[in-house]
Amino acid sequence: MQYVNNTRKALIFAAYLAMSVLPLRAQAVDQSLIDAAQKEGRVVWYTTQIIDQLARPLAEAFTRTYGIKVDYVRADSNEVALRLLNEGKAGRVQADVFDGTAAVAALKRDHLVMQWLPPHTKDLPADFYDPEGYWVATNLYVLTLGYNTDAVPANKVPHHFEDLLDPQWKGKMVWNTSHSSSAAPGFIGVVLASMGEEKGRAYLKALSAQNIASLSVAARQVLDQVIAGEYSIALNIFNNHALISAAKGAPSQWQALDNTMATFSVISATAQAPHPHAAKLFIDFAISHEGQAIYRDADYIPIDPAIAPRHPELRPNGVDFKATYFTPERLDANMPKWYALYREYFE
Amino acid sequence: MTKQGGPSYFSSWLSAHATQIITGLIVVVSFILVVPPLLIIVRGAVVDVDAQGWSLNLHRLSFIISQKNFIPSIIHTLAFACGSSVIALLLGGFSAFLVARTNAPFKILTHITSLMSLGTPYVLYVSAWLSVLNKSGPINSLWRAWTGSSQLLFDVYSLSGMILIEGLLWSPLAFLLLSTSFRYANPDFEEAALISGASQRHVLMRITAPLAAPAILALILLIFIRCLEAFEVPSLVGLPGKVHVLTTDVFEYINRTMPPDIDSGNAVALILLALVIILLMIYRVLTRHRGSYATLSGKNFRPRMIDLGRGRSLAGGWLCLNFLCVVIIPFAMLVWLSLSPFYAPVSWAGLQRLTLVHFEHILHSERYLALIGNTFLLSTISASVVMIFAALSSFLIVRNHKGAVLIDLLASLPLGFPGIVLAVGVMQVFLALPIGIYGSIWIIIWAFCIAYLPYGLRYCVAGMMHIHSEIEEAAIMSGAHMFDVLRRITLPLLVPSLIAGWTFIFLVSTRALSVPIILSGAGSQTIALAMFDLWGNGQSPELAALGLMWGAATGILAYFLHRITEKTGLGLRA
Repeated sequence: MQYVNNTRKALIFAAYLAMSVLPLRAQAVDQSLIDAAQKEGRVVWYTTQIIDQLARPLAEAFTRTYGIKVDYVRADSNEVALRLLNEGKAGRVQADVFDGTAAVAALKRDHLVMQWLPPHTKDLPADFYDPEGYWVATNLYVLTLGYNTDAVPANKVPHHFEDLLDPQWKGKMVWNTSHSSSAAPGFIGVVLASMGEEKGRAYLKALSAQNIASLSVAARQVLDQVIAGEYSIALNIFNNHALISAAKGAPSQWQALDNTMATFSVISATAQAPHPHAAKLFIDFAISHEGQAIYRDADYIPIDPAIAPRHPELRPNGVDFKATYFTPERLDANMPKWYALYREYFE
Repeated sequence: MTKQGGPSYFSSWLSAHATQIITGLIVVVSFILVVPPLLIIVRGAVVDVDAQGWSLNLHRLSFIISQKNFIPSIIHTLAFACGSSVIALLLGGFSAFLVARTNAPFKILTHITSLMSLGTPYVLYVSAWLSVLNKSGPINSLWRAWTGSSQLLFDVYSLSGMILIEGLLWSPLAFLLLSTSFRYANPDFEEAALISGASQRHVLMRITAPLAAPAILALILLIFIRCLEAFEVPSLVGLPGKVHVLTTDVFEYINRTMPPDIDSGNAVALILLALVIILLMIYRVLTRHRGSYATLSGKNFRPRMIDLGRGRSLAGGWLCLNFLCVVIIPFAMLVWLSLSPFYAPVSWAGLQRLTLVHFEHILHSERYLALIGNTFLLSTISASVVMIFAALSSFLIVRNHKGAVLIDLLASLPLGFPGIVLAVGVMQVFLALPIGIYGSIWIIIWAFCIAYLPYGLRYCVAGMMHIHSEIEEAAIMSGAHMFDVLRRITLPLLVPSLIAGWTFIFLVSTRALSVPIILSGAGSQTIALAMFDLWGNGQSPELAALGLMWGAATGILAYFLHRITEKTGLGLRA
């Protein structure tokens, strides 16, 4: 018991310290919101983020700052959406906050998302939050080609979409088939965005002759298969993954083609959140400088322009490489078409 | 049933109506467990609900059936399930026979084999085998180095690759279930035949095998259905080779929209259910004459050990080979992976990079400890509840009591529920009810009880079929109550089956993913979820390390359970 008391005192002291050291953020958040959130005492977060990498550090930092407990549940975006939908339909919502790249667009239609943006949002570029006010981005994903440096010599690395049609890559490329931006449909989307409908389709038709292997695993495992030497090139993987593995000595590298897809991991509160104030405070924290620093430390690309990623070269700057940004709504609206094209040409 | 009443009116009434009471209870419980998710599946698949009320809607079903890949999917599904069950049965069944009935050496290896491989998460086991058999794996690499060709010796991403890996995956189950059954073999029939001059082989073909037939059939059915529902192998091995089966179709139908279209999943599940029901009906017809398989009568039931003579070393070689294939090769791959800094193929260069850092991470993580606690708790409770229920049900089913057919059907239906469909069904049930177990470990236990009920039941039915009713009848004639008979005679005789079934359910629920991923809350996370997290994060080496430690821990636990049965004199002599 004594131990618990001491821990609590230490937490309160730490929270006090954090707030006094960072006067900027203390001012940015309304004190009445903090009070109401602390009264609720708890926030439930359904997350698609990896626990060890991001979910726990962010939750712990939030608890240190405000003394509010974060209960997180991790699942993929499909499972998160299934839970939220069913909880919402039954009127027994458990989650206060959730994140993901596209699910929010569908959940918005079912009135399951809270319309609220934190004060910090105004410091962000306009692309990085929902103009209707349902979500704000926390970090950026950049989807590029990943390759095995043992299998692909430096002078052979593809730089353009056309390069992938080279017969030397026949049967040596791989992607995953899920209904997701970090998969075949996402690649098809960026091809169409770059080349237009007609040329894009002709290109996809030519690409289908390259016999790309289709895996039903996450983009991260697609890259792992390339690192293991099963395939030479992975299409549409997260570029930071290639860098993380390369740092451990793996023969992996990434390369942007003519255009790349950039998507957001966005965070939202649920419309029927049991702890609405704590939910708001948590979202605000995720996009604060402190919260964004945690994304940076996990090797993600923070959206806060003030927090540079650990590897700035990962972020598209329009000079070294170019990206088209896809909001959750844009992904949601186009995904059925991209997926249908995948089935038409590649299945 | 008995005229000799107990001391009081109540107990004599209880005794007279014992079977009816038990039957009633079992029917009610299985109804409560199975029917709600079943209704949700049927409703989702073929019913539309709108302002006007309910209406039948077959468009989802007809859409799925009209797809050009539907027939190939069905054919692949059946071929995959047939092939895998044959391999599992050959590998596991033959080993079970050698271990339970002969003096073959190295028997203990087979127990270790079955328990360790059942404790390893599927995804890990499958990816270990893939690393062995894929293009960059040692087998194809050696072949290329040896022949100088660029061709593959074996393309694992094919139907035959799927069958091989799935068969290996289920051979331990075949072993566990059949060794229980072989253990019950009555020595009297065999000895009588031997004395009458029959040869050893003749006895085997005409007596031992036919007596084990219902158990073997039950097992084929179980593994066949399990393969119908298998997801990991079809998705990791089949899809890259463009081999689709029904379960990968369920997955694709559910996930091709956002939000996921669980109703299309329900529709495919309905087709799976229909297949399962047909199989169960065939099985019932085939095992109509249950009474003739009872081998455990009032007398000693220690099986006669066959002396293999010179064949002993061959048998030992087989058991070692089995151990090599099912444990050593995949586990060696996992050891390699767990020591590599990143996901790397086996190579000389890789040797210099090996590191223990992943094991250190796990041993220093407090999170895993809490997850292990949760996992043990919910697996223990689920396995115990299911086995108690299954023991009573199997008694009624095998003794052909009134209502048995209904119980058998209800308790077998969950075989047709794909994991994610069941999980969403259970979620909907508890969200609709004013019972606050959603998000706690209890809702996971509830779903596990439904999912594993059929397995518990098959274990018990196989065991119960060997216990002749004459033992129970003798006790009743001597004035025992039905409850006493169950408690003091039938259940103790069933202990080996109960423990085998318990171990199986315990192990499969520790590694199950599709149920906890939908149903767990913040405080009810399991170790399988942590493994899924590592897998999703590209931390395959740390996953391998965790999987190895977990496999070893569950293996040791299961081994002690096995020793306990052995000490009671009911277990298998290793």
